[in-house]
Amino acid sequence: MSNKGWSVLFGVVMAACFIGFGISPWMGWWMPDGISTHAADVDFLFYVILYITAFFFVLTEALIVLFMWNYAGTGEVKHPVSETAEFPGYLKPLTGILHDQHRIEMAWTFIPAVILLYIAFAQVSAWANIKYESRKKAGQDASQIGGSLQIGVSARQFEWRMRYPSVERFDKWIKNQSDPTAAFDSFGKMPQVDDVYVVNELHIWQHHQVVVYLTTRDVLHSFNLPNFRVKQDALPGKMIPVWFRTLDPAKQKKTKNTKWNEAKKRYIDGINPETGKEDPNYIYDIPCAELCGWGHYRMIGRVYVHENHAEFRDWLEKAQANYLKRTGDR
Amino acid sequence: MDPHASHGTEHAHAHHELSFIRKYIFSEDHKIIGIQFLFTSIIFLGLGGILALLVRIQLAWPHAEIPFLSEQFRDNGGRMPESFYNMLFTMHASVMIFFVIIPFLTGAFGNFTIPLMIGAPDMAFPKLNMMSYWVLWPAFVLISLSFFVDGGAAASGWTAYPTLSAVAMPAGGGLNSPAAPGSGLGQILWLSSLLCVGVGSMMGSVNYITTIINMRAPGMTLYRMPMTIWAMFITAILQAFALPVLTVALILQLLDKTIGTTFFLPDGLAFGNWSPEVGGGQPLLWQHLFWFYSHPAVYIMILPAMGMVSDIVSTFSRRPLFGYRAMIYSIAGIAGLGFIVWGHHMFQSGMDPRLGTGFMIATMMIALPSAVKVFNWMGTIFRGNLQFTTPMLFALGFVSLFIIGGLSGIFMAATPVDIYIHDTYFIVAHIHYVLFTSSLFGIFAAIYYWFPKMFGRMMNDNLGKVHFTLTFIFGNCTFFPMHMVGVMGLRRRIPDVTAGVLENNTLALNQFMSISALILGTVQLIFLFNFLYSLFFGPKATRNPWNANTLEWTTGDPVPGHGNFDTVPIVHHGPYVYGEFGAKDSCLQTEKGDGTMAAPAH
Repeated sequence: MSNKGWSVLFGVVMAACFIGFGISPWMGWWMPDGISTHAADVDFLFYVILYITAFFFVLTEALIVLFMWNYAGTGEVKHPVSETAEFPGYLKPLTGILHDQHRIEMAWTFIPAVILLYIAFAQVSAWANIKYESRKKAGQDASQIGGSLQIGVSARQFEWRMRYPSVERFDKWIKNQSDPTAAFDSFGKMPQVDDVYVVNELHIWQHHQVVVYLTTRDVLHSFNLPNFRVKQDALPGKMIPVWFRTLDPAKQKKTKNTKWNEAKKRYIDGINPETGKEDPNYIYDIPCAELCGWGHYRMIGRVYVHENHAEFRDWLEKAQANYLKRTGDR
Repeated sequence: MDPHASHGTEHAHAHHELSFIRKYIFSEDHKIIGIQFLFTSIIFLGLGGILALLVRIQLAWPHAEIPFLSEQFRDNGGRMPESFYNMLFTMHASVMIFFVIIPFLTGAFGNFTIPLMIGAPDMAFPKLNMMSYWVLWPAFVLISLSFFVDGGAAASGWTAYPTLSAVAMPAGGGLNSPAAPGSGLGQILWLSSLLCVGVGSMMGSVNYITTIINMRAPGMTLYRMPMTIWAMFITAILQAFALPVLTVALILQLLDKTIGTTFFLPDGLAFGNWSPEVGGGQPLLWQHLFWFYSHPAVYIMILPAMGMVSDIVSTFSRRPLFGYRAMIYSIAGIAGLGFIVWGHHMFQSGMDPRLGTGFMIATMMIALPSAVKVFNWMGTIFRGNLQFTTPMLFALGFVSLFIIGGLSGIFMAATPVDIYIHDTYFIVAHIHYVLFTSSLFGIFAAIYYWFPKMFGRMMNDNLGKVHFTLTFIFGNCTFFPMHMVGVMGLRRRIPDVTAGVLENNTLALNQFMSISALILGTVQLIFLFNFLYSLFFGPKATRNPWNANTLEWTTGDPVPGHGNFDTVPIVHHGPYVYGEFGAKDSCLQTEKGDGTMAAPAH
């Protein structure tokens, strides 16, 4: 290969990487649509960082390829251009800096520092909103928890066991929404005698705040809702609250994905709310994201988003009946 | 006391004929010890590579019979059991990190280069140096043995997070684990093996620090040391401070597994119908201790490569390293900040999220010295007279692909973005860009570069270029699409990508990556052939085949004997005097660089 050929190899491979990433959204190699209010924050930051890094990727790789092309030696002793030689005309505006090694070091330290600090501080509020708020919501008194839907999630090898309030308790919550203090009880922190347990199905309804009380009984797991941009490890010996809310169907996007299936006698998910037909884009997996043993890969739950609390209550009633049938009336 | 006085006498002893065993097996010569590290690392690189290819085969064809091993898995229809897959990636990572990259960089090249490049006859403590290699042998035996024990080798990830890794049966219950088959005896052997590795690294790091501080040749001031030595120096300091923490963590987990302590096991655990009677420990404690070592370890795995690449880039650009002091300060900056960023591995772990904010800001800042290094490498090749030898190509490959690894790190440093990409293949892409296409490229560059000094023969440059070209192309084909499948939501550490709805869409890309990986693995045979062939039949090397400036190229014979230098070298200037003197474009550190020197005597 000729000496200049190496810069071509580098150029082609780096361009292929850039193009590969560039066409990914159109090839379907991209994030699923975000359907929670967190997604707007997370995705915005992702794109900010993507554009900044893409710019620096192109800049640095292009310069490396250019230098490899321009300054390719023949293998013979030849004096490189000396430090004090004139720069090519197109670099005229920068000559002052380029001639002074100290100033150029300062410049390429200072500029990235400002950009990195911008990225650092731009994200603090999003992180606080997602994670600090979760903790607050769990520690807060009733008036701030308000009418959020509380669900206990206990992870274990290899399933998610969801704990819902009984229909009676749920009715009390809904009825007392105007008087939030009455809605509060210790459901979140502690299992109650009338709880309803369901495996691997997380039922919520559209645009309503959900607080999940996350625990695990054996090893680490990670409660991972990719479509919602939610991820939180479950830690043995600890209860960790996680909050989220789907988008507002009136303003942003319908997120409902479930309907009653008369043949199967159950609510099924993955239903496109516009067409009413099954659509894999409306399946919301809960894949465990922290290695938890041999069955880790298949520890996958599903999120069912109902139209409203009435539909949720309808599901809960049926779930409770099923649960009681299995466990015997208490 | 002048250290060279005492070593003068040692030097005389070195000329006594030593027996084969003393000379090549239980050697106290830093060069032989370095070469011992080199050979064992190459063997483990092969093992780690085979484990990686098995992982890739399973990912691309999750429901097919596994080649070569299907007879072993007749009960499972010839397919790979899930727990076997967990063992594969756990051992791939453990082998590559603890038995390949770290021994290559600090063991092989740290040992080989430090005395030679600072003009010392040997390490400060040659016997300790010998020990630092031989204490690894129990580790080699234990880790190899662990594949054959009941339940298989460790299978809880190289991070070995409790409780999966640490939970043990009650007294009398045997060594099997209630949590996972690979967390029984395999995990105990894994822990014991890593303990030995840690002790060995510790001995090495103490030796390197002492040698570099005390045994530099006259005139070799700190600011005349080559970047390789600066990087080795700072890496050794990192190891000395970080390793004790890992050692403690390993011992605690070993106690949890063997004598029933519960340092990492909380109350109220339940596995199936069985519950441990006692608890009170804290699984998060392991993560803090582990990452307090393992994040600095990430820099232990890259800084020496950065140092060596700096030297190689400067040599073959025939130009002084741009911003020598800035390079030193940025390595020191990376090392210093490296101690306060460990929490960025734990953003989603359940530690207080306010801590996450602090770790995030420190992590963002650590990108800065890395960026400065890249700019300085670019400043070095700018207006150079680039010689595209194989070591130079690997070094340039390092620079251009480290950029990808560095930039992708910014995504995961951003806490909200990390919520989405944590534990996905985006992370896998990042670490392979940093460890494979950066650290390992640096290692390949260093092997091609110092091979003539190690063995007195040249490696074949044309084969080297074929090796580079194919590794560069298929390395990117293997690891770049991991960014895409990571963004699609593909989790790490799963044997069957068809299990989830989002993940199912990644199957085609996974097959592309696996085919690329198989080619990439095959290409390394070219390197192996070149290495072994050149060892015996390569053309004889001259004393300074690359016209470099540093002291190792001034030794009397192409391959120096024990004692290295015939006379104590005297250093007149820094290592990067290229292209500045009269009729030649380089000037050895032992030559007076006043521009009046005649042509060098080689």
